[in-house]
Amino acid sequence: MSATLKINGTEKTFDQGLPSTLTELLAQLEINAATVVAEINGDIVERKNFAQTELKDQMAIELIRFDGGG
Amino acid sequence: MRSHTFYELTNAVVGIAGLGGLGSNVAVALTRLKVGKLVLVDFDVVEESNLNRQNYFPDQIGQHKVDASLKNLRRINPEADLEGHKVRLTPEKIPQVFKDCRIIAECFDRADQKQMLVETVLSKIKDVVVVSVSGLAGYGRSNEIVTRRISDRLILVGDTVSGTGPGVPLTAPRVGVAAYHQANAIAETLINIGNAGVSPASDMMKGENP
Repeated sequence: MSATLKINGTEKTFDQGLPSTLTELLAQLEINAATVVAEINGDIVERKNFAQTELKDQMAIELIRFDGGG
Repeated sequence: MRSHTFYELTNAVVGIAGLGGLGSNVAVALTRLKVGKLVLVDFDVVEESNLNRQNYFPDQIGQHKVDASLKNLRRINPEADLEGHKVRLTPEKIPQVFKDCRIIAECFDRADQKQMLVETVLSKIKDVVVVSVSGLAGYGRSNEIVTRRISDRLILVGDTVSGTGPGVPLTAPRVGVAAYHQANAIAETLINIGNAGVSPASDMMKGENP
């Protein structure tokens, strides 16, 4: 079943169904969870809760990624 | 500058998390701007390898960065109101250390520490703006470093792609470009707070984080 997430403002369609959790989405996108601040529908999701955060059709997800250096 | 703008700058309390290439230089800019008070936080000491980009001097090697920064900033302005904390910031300590701050500058080196600071400020402290940096390694490409307003509470500086690593050094000019973007975003945010209701004449990029 096809479902859609809005990730950083861009619609992304998942034809084989959504990743079940935020952790699974980050794994699919090959993003290291330790370097990401996440918001879903405008609310911050703490990293310790990524694995318990279930994704649903039409969620708006902001992923703010950090590279090292300072 | 109009008087209420001056009031916001000279009465603001700004936190600086990390006093390396970003933080030591942001602190210089904000001290010269006469921001009301700076809360400076770093657990580390000055090393020789820091001198290629951080605002310290050879005779300060071995000193805590907090102590060295306090001395250097007081040479710029002997009247500066500065508060130093020699602690390693954790999610538990951040709300207490920065309790009086209106804006916090994220000036860490490691990506996971940047994540920790930004997540903690956004989830545990109300009404504070955090100005963070990601993507400043290497040299050249000054114009790829931009300031983005991600949300009302998060401003992100950098090119978002240039992490440091083997063959990609941190250099004084490019770290300096990012640090002064950061200081300028802080100044603009404070002035906009002072001009609340007046639409800001900002060229800060809106919206999405690529």
